[in-house]
Amino acid sequence: MTWFIGIDIGSAYTKGVILKDSEIIAYHTIPSGANYRSAADTIKQHLLKQADLTLNNITAIVATGTGAASADFASRQASEIVCTARGINSIFPQARTVIEVAGQASKAIKIDERGMVKNFAVSEKCAAGSGRFIEVIANVLRMDLKDFGPLSLKSTRPVTFGTGCAVFGESEAITRVAEGIPREDIAAGVNKALAGKISSLAHKVRLEEPCAICGGGALNAGLVKAAEKELGIKLLVPAQPQIVTALGAAVIARS
Amino acid sequence: MYFAGVDIGSTMTKVVLTDAADNILSSVKGPTGPEHRQLANEVMKRVLDQAKLKLDDISYIVATGYGRVNVPFADEQITELSCHARGVSSLFPGVRTAIDIGGQDAKCMKIRNGKLVDFVMNDKCAAGTGRFLEVTAATLGIKLDDLGALSLKSTKKIEISNVCTIFAQQEIVARLSEGEKVEDIIAGLHHAVASRVAILARRLKVEPDVVLTGGVAKNIGVVTAMREALGCEILVPEEPLLTGALGAAILARENYDKAGKRGEPVTTKGRRLEKATFFTK
Repeated sequence: MTWFIGIDIGSAYTKGVILKDSEIIAYHTIPSGANYRSAADTIKQHLLKQADLTLNNITAIVATGTGAASADFASRQASEIVCTARGINSIFPQARTVIEVAGQASKAIKIDERGMVKNFAVSEKCAAGSGRFIEVIANVLRMDLKDFGPLSLKSTRPVTFGTGCAVFGESEAITRVAEGIPREDIAAGVNKALAGKISSLAHKVRLEEPCAICGGGALNAGLVKAAEKELGIKLLVPAQPQIVTALGAAVIARS
Repeated sequence: MYFAGVDIGSTMTKVVLTDAADNILSSVKGPTGPEHRQLANEVMKRVLDQAKLKLDDISYIVATGYGRVNVPFADEQITELSCHARGVSSLFPGVRTAIDIGGQDAKCMKIRNGKLVDFVMNDKCAAGTGRFLEVTAATLGIKLDDLGALSLKSTKKIEISNVCTIFAQQEIVARLSEGEKVEDIIAGLHHAVASRVAILARRLKVEPDVVLTGGVAKNIGVVTAMREALGCEILVPEEPLLTGALGAAILARENYDKAGKRGEPVTTKGRRLEKATFFTK
């Protein structure tokens, strides 16, 4: 029997997966915090404990994400784009495009039937094009991120944000709250604005169906719905969208 | 004869009173609240008190700025671009490029013989506006007014690589934890603002004289960084916040004169200073 670990050290969260052959036997997510090295160690310990294994049982470890270099116990590093593509391919082999909405960037990746990257586009210069926008507005609305999606789905009249900037969007949201606009309409407005940015990213790579969505942003059902509306297609959503890239890293470790 | 210019910006409200020769008699600056009408009214009263005048003594009032429609005692509304161009060229007759960095936008104007001929502006992204400095100063726990002086102490060049204000905030925290000095980080932020504005200005081909106005022009660090980014001398008026309001007052005088020459009545009866109450949607 062989085990493989994939670790994805992102700007906001660190994700890890243990694969036993092709089956996920353990996965975990923790906030990355200020120190990537300790986040990488913590997630490794946690995964091993969860699967009741020791480091000696693991055949290979692949690290990816912003903080990949901090996981010095890894056998090798791989690019996030490649890992996301491989991860989504192992869940949805039919997917030809994958959109990832992460804490600090969004990506659209076109893949072939083996999960190889054909083309990609990244938006990482602007907070309004990433999950960060949702965090900023959730903070204004004083609500938990996990409640954001369900609340936004109740909206009947999503607000329109005037600019494509998260800083200006924050002031706009404060003004709307002061005007007595329901919170669900503000939340739905943010999802719509972000969906617009994601959609133009997807068009840049000439999106091909079937298309999947992953990353922390895919946990927000309101955002997924808004993106489907914006793109005019149905999106495939994995049960655990946050760990797709870590899963891809484990798949690469196996191969 | 007296004239008034009221400039309601996103962050500050400015009023200037002038006489028939465009001399400034008094001026007042106050923060713009959510209630534009109420504030414009207060600021107007203060400026009238200063000059010991009454509202009826003012021949013509022009309102400008993004809150200009909420000034119920103005006789006319004129866009801030025209007012800025007019105000800047009255102070610097040789101006060919005017850059205004406000609290929420940045504008670059091409001026020929005192007339606005072209402009570009950014009001879509906080980077390269006063808001960038407001947010990042708050992250550093430093007062906006202290940024300029502190940045002059900088000895090391630090590049803030994130354009986005929100990502820059994170970058500042990372730099601080790496042990970088606050003054070096501030200087880096000034360079970041200057380089964004320079990219905007270059779309118009920058030609001297270049004048910098707006609240951000009071920050010597940004002025220095702008000089470096554009590679030319930058002129700053004594009161960089007031050029829009001054231009509005001058345009008020000019439009009043023009109407007089044509023999048209100049209506001022619609002024409702006292009736200005709350700003509603």
